[in-house]
Amino acid sequence: MLLQSQPGGALQPLRHLSRQTPHSSPSLSWNGRYLAAVVSIGERRLVVVEDRLRGSVLRLPLPGGGQPERVSLAPDGGRLAVQLQQQGRRRVQLFSLSAVLEPDRPGGLRVLGGGSEP
Amino acid sequence: MIRLLVPMAVTLLLLGCQPMALQPLSALNSRIEQAGGSREPALSGRWLALIAGRGGRERVELLDLDRALPVPVPGLNRVDAQPLSVSVDAAGERLALVRQLGGRTELLLYRRSLASLQRLDLQPDGVPRRVQLRADGRQLAVEVSREGLWQIDLFELP
Repeated sequence: MLLQSQPGGALQPLRHLSRQTPHSSPSLSWNGRYLAAVVSIGERRLVVVEDRLRGSVLRLPLPGGGQPERVSLAPDGGRLAVQLQQQGRRRVQLFSLSAVLEPDRPGGLRVLGGGSEP
Repeated sequence: MIRLLVPMAVTLLLLGCQPMALQPLSALNSRIEQAGGSREPALSGRWLALIAGRGGRERVELLDLDRALPVPVPGLNRVDAQPLSVSVDAAGERLALVRQLGGRTELLLYRRSLASLQRLDLQPDGVPRRVQLRADGRQLAVEVSREGLWQIDLFELP
């Protein structure tokens, strides 16, 4: 898996996902802090999220089983949509990540109030 | 030996990292289930675009996650077209779509406020497979099959 910055296409470092194959369905947050993907390990498929700021990787087991096929990470990292294959049927499920990931909001948004105007 | 050890080490690292509990969004998942089978999810802002349907007839749906309701997308779906991939921007205004129609695979940009559907041409020619809109809707990445290779094309959108 490769991560490029645009414009220019310069390669950006990935600590955990760069060597892991096969993998599919990469999905980035607003500022590229989080990269979600489906990773295959033997017969198993896992949803993982690499946190590029902390240099860590989160494994996200899916409740209820089913094989993840595709993921879409909300730009702020607050939700994750997963396409699952279960009993021969494809379906999409939504999960909250708000208790797991810090928000990755677009630049310039004030998150906390307080203080006087500069 | 190193070629074997590195993937093994990464595998062990991934298997060994701390699993985090995922919390299903049950009300929204029930709403998605009502549409039948579903695939190709695309999240952005308060919006989820996906391809859903029953009995082999699929359509693009756009859900407002704050209200847990589908919103109309007039002019986006056709009964004789098969959607393959969809993406939405964070405003829920622009949707990018790949669909098959009449034996041809098309790349399209839909503007919801105008209910307009615009075809985007690939240069050089190729067969689009998947789309990903940037959250601000100003850039589109397209996975394209071209002369036996998978490539990524980037479009700047005005």
